[in-house]
Amino acid sequence: MSFEIMSISSVLIQKQAVAELEKCNDFTTQFRLTLSQRDAVELVETRTLALKSNGRIEFGGGVIEKIIREFCNSPYLSMHNYAETLHDLTDMFYYYKNETLELMSDDDLIKFMKKSFDGLCQGSLELLSGRELANMARNLRFGYTPEYLEGLACGEEDEDEEY
Amino acid sequence: MKNIEKRHIIDSNNLSGEFYFTSIVQEGYAYGLLNDSDIEDIKLQCLKLLSNKSELYNGGESSSIRIEAAESIMKSNLYTIGVYLKSLPDADFAVSELKMVSIPEMYQKGRALISGKVHSAKHIYKMAKANRLINLNYTYNATLDDNGLGIFFKLYNPDYEAHEVPVSIDYQLCNPITDLTGIEFIHKYLENLFLENEFCSYFNDDNIDHILCGYDEGYKDLLINIFEQVLTVALGCMLANSMVVKLDISEEKIRRLYNNLSKEDDYLLALKICEANEKILQELNISSLSLRRYIERSLPKITSNIVHAVKTNTLGKTIVSPSNPDLKPKIQFLSGVKMDDGKYRKFIEELLICRYSSDKLALIKEKVKSFGDIEDLLFDAQLSEEEITSVLGMLGDVEIAELIRRHPLKSDIQAVDLSEVEQALRLFLISYIDQLTADRQDHIFEILNHLIDD
Repeated sequence: MSFEIMSISSVLIQKQAVAELEKCNDFTTQFRLTLSQRDAVELVETRTLALKSNGRIEFGGGVIEKIIREFCNSPYLSMHNYAETLHDLTDMFYYYKNETLELMSDDDLIKFMKKSFDGLCQGSLELLSGRELANMARNLRFGYTPEYLEGLACGEEDEDEEY
Repeated sequence: MKNIEKRHIIDSNNLSGEFYFTSIVQEGYAYGLLNDSDIEDIKLQCLKLLSNKSELYNGGESSSIRIEAAESIMKSNLYTIGVYLKSLPDADFAVSELKMVSIPEMYQKGRALISGKVHSAKHIYKMAKANRLINLNYTYNATLDDNGLGIFFKLYNPDYEAHEVPVSIDYQLCNPITDLTGIEFIHKYLENLFLENEFCSYFNDDNIDHILCGYDEGYKDLLINIFEQVLTVALGCMLANSMVVKLDISEEKIRRLYNNLSKEDDYLLALKICEANEKILQELNISSLSLRRYIERSLPKITSNIVHAVKTNTLGKTIVSPSNPDLKPKIQFLSGVKMDDGKYRKFIEELLICRYSSDKLALIKEKVKSFGDIEDLLFDAQLSEEEITSVLGMLGDVEIAELIRRHPLKSDIQAVDLSEVEQALRLFLISYIDQLTADRQDHIFEILNHLIDD
């Protein structure tokens, strides 16, 4: 008989999470974005894997719902890349949750991701993960603010343009 | 009919003091008091409680939590519930409580009990500090200080880490606590430490200091239990008909005691020690029931030490006679005034250009007037082993002893950190001492024992 968390939590949490994701469709249809039940199950699986590989655990619906609500009005999202982008964003979110030493709340991190995704990254997930989030996490760890990063990133870009 | 005890289904001896909740659920399941559905329900409730606590832990800012943190909170929750279940009359009752009462409710009750225990532990800590011994033992003082046990009360987090003991406790009790953790551990530790202090307070601090010096003059750096030493010597005094309260037993009396005890078998020896203990309690007029019980609990360990010492003819090492370091003769070594730096530099240059050892020795004899200069030139004059041995030959026993004190004869492993010249000097010093007669060696080491720091 074990009272270890991983052994008692996963099944219950997953069922609850799939139901919550399906509910999100009510809100996202206005942006012509919907998730099938299969998409929802796969997203929850991605979340489970991301949590496991980043050594974290989550109770309830989790952040996918928050990500959906924040990103659904992005001009870079359409039905053909919606589910795929959500998989990547979910993965990224948990990775950078650890990388920022949990100094940033869920809401702030998601807002930062959205702002960068729509802004500097212009819909590129590679730039978002490899540059914007990486710089932001590094600056937070060194005691700077995320804004400091933005200034630095712009400066670097200007320098690049000169060459 | 008064002696009839209620029969319990669960044997409380099978329950873990540290992981009480888990062990009681396991035992309850094994004896059929809890079925699969009960277990499932308990697990789900535990998960719900963990979920709520994790949310509080994150301050509502994060929906996920690191697994290590979640595991720690889960352990803390189960520990807190365990504290409540322990407070119930018996294990069977605790199992029925598990079925009847919800997990969050039991957690709240446990949390209230922990708060009470923290408060009580603080009070016992104050009492233990008030009756502390005036003693040089480092671990004893460091553990009792505000920077030792005092830190526990600043760092203990009963909400999320109730099962942790966030403090390092170096001073070991006579009866170590092995099956408790968290505040229960600290509470019990402080209780026992207070009782040990209380027993020692029946004796003069100086007398305790003397018996500890008799055990080892460097006792201040040792990880020893003071109470155990005091009780052992007190038992020795009682068995040898010496004054218990003075803890004064001579080596001769220990020898005679050995002669008496070595005739007895183990059982009779243990009986004698028990009787001696009773007499001590009477003589010291110890009326506190908790202290009497604590002493009785400590007796088996001390009895086994004494029995072993009698068997191996080492009673003098277990029951020690007091030694007063202040009464020992002391030698203060004054090395004289060194020559000034300019003169010394010239002298070394002169020494370096000498071709023959005899010239070097003659020069040293002529110019060097202080021990400090001799010590310096052993490092600076690039002398050979033979020359160093000759220089050492010029020194008296006190000077050789002082040289050993300043450059102790350490093992090869300890010598790793030393410079090459220092290593060489120590090596030559060892070989020089080895070639001396046994009497002279004894004399030098005797002097070494009496030399005191500058």
